[in-house]
Amino acid sequence: MKHLLVIFLTLSLNTVLAHDDEHANLGDRATELKDEGKSKDIHPSLDEIRKMHPEFLLHRRDQTLRQGVRTQRDSLKGCVDCHSSTKNDEYVPINAPDQFCSTCHQKVGISLDCFSCHRTTPKEGL
Amino acid sequence: MNKELNRRDFLKNTTAVTAGVATIASGITLTTFAANDNPVTNEKRWGMLVDTNKLTESNINDMVNACQEENGWGSEIHSTGHQKPSWIKKIKVKDKVTGKIDMLPMMCQHCEHPPCVDVCPTNASMKREDGIVLVDKHLCIGCRYCMMACPYDARSFVHEDLSNQKEHMPRGKGTVESCTMCVHRVDKGEMPACAEAVSSNGVIFGDLYDANSKINQTLRKIQSTQIRADLNLNTGVRYSGI
Ligand code: SF4
Repeated sequence: MKHLLVIFLTLSLNTVLAHDDEHANLGDRATELKDEGKSKDIHPSLDEIRKMHPEFLLHRRDQTLRQGVRTQRDSLKGCVDCHSSTKNDEYVPINAPDQFCSTCHQKVGISLDCFSCHRTTPKEGL
Repeated sequence: MNKELNRRDFLKNTTAVTAGVATIASGITLTTFAANDNPVTNEKRWGMLVDTNKLTESNINDMVNACQEENGWGSEIHSTGHQKPSWIKKIKVKDKVTGKIDMLPMMCQHCEHPPCVDVCPTNASMKREDGIVLVDKHLCIGCRYCMMACPYDARSFVHEDLSNQKEHMPRGKGTVESCTMCVHRVDKGEMPACAEAVSSNGVIFGDLYDANSKINQTLRKIQSTQIRADLNLNTGVRYSGI
């Protein structure tokens, strides 16, 4: 019984950790940066960005729109630029079901409406 | 992690300033904020002067096209005539006595006292400190009161799902939109697309308050008018030649 419990706990812990470390679809640029070991330059703490990104984005959106403060940091454009992935040389819209934003949002039952207005792929004319 | 601390750090990171001053012509200076880390202030008031005598009909068409190209409106396929967005349009004014016809470009006039801001129930319709009137689409509920209130018919409502928007200009179904004075360009120290599309001095863009700016100097010299000046809205877009 004890053995079974240990096995069960190890297994469940593994799945939790696996989910924590790996994102199903990180996006092309973000994967590159991660492989180069540079992701910490952009998101110093994974916990922080996972928990706080709604606040960062909200704060930034008001600053940008109402006060004209335009910096790269914490812009939605920045998220899309790095976390989009390509398929057959074309960008897949970031709000598609298996893409970066949607995988988590679906899992936790969040329905957001960023992308009925915001562009879903990086840059124009790619 | 501590939420407060993060926010403060975050704020701290955004307060560095880099300012640059460039001289573009003798006596005319253009001040830009290289990194735009500082909130805009009411020390500036952006405006435009449209000289209808210097604008041909094709100039005005160019302005409309430039705006569409820059901001991505005008290719809505499901909207019918009146539903189609139109941020800037060509207006024909005819003097019934003499038959004289004037053509002029008409867009949001970026009023100092904008009626659209007065009537907005959600504070979505707003004016920046530097005089640019915008719609915060995050807050817009699509009631269209502002469209009713605008004396210039400058606002449009998006009637259909959109995709492939410009990166710098989010637009979407169910919200109201209008000329932004190309705020994304202005914040970078560039000119609005429509002003850039006219090579003559037909459209002058600049800071109305700055005594060294071309727009200020020209407005002091020549006769100009605000459309519906009787409403006392003190528009940022001024016209001469009409
Ligand atoms: S300032 Fe920009 S948004 Fe406004 S009419 Fe001109 S091109 Fe269009």
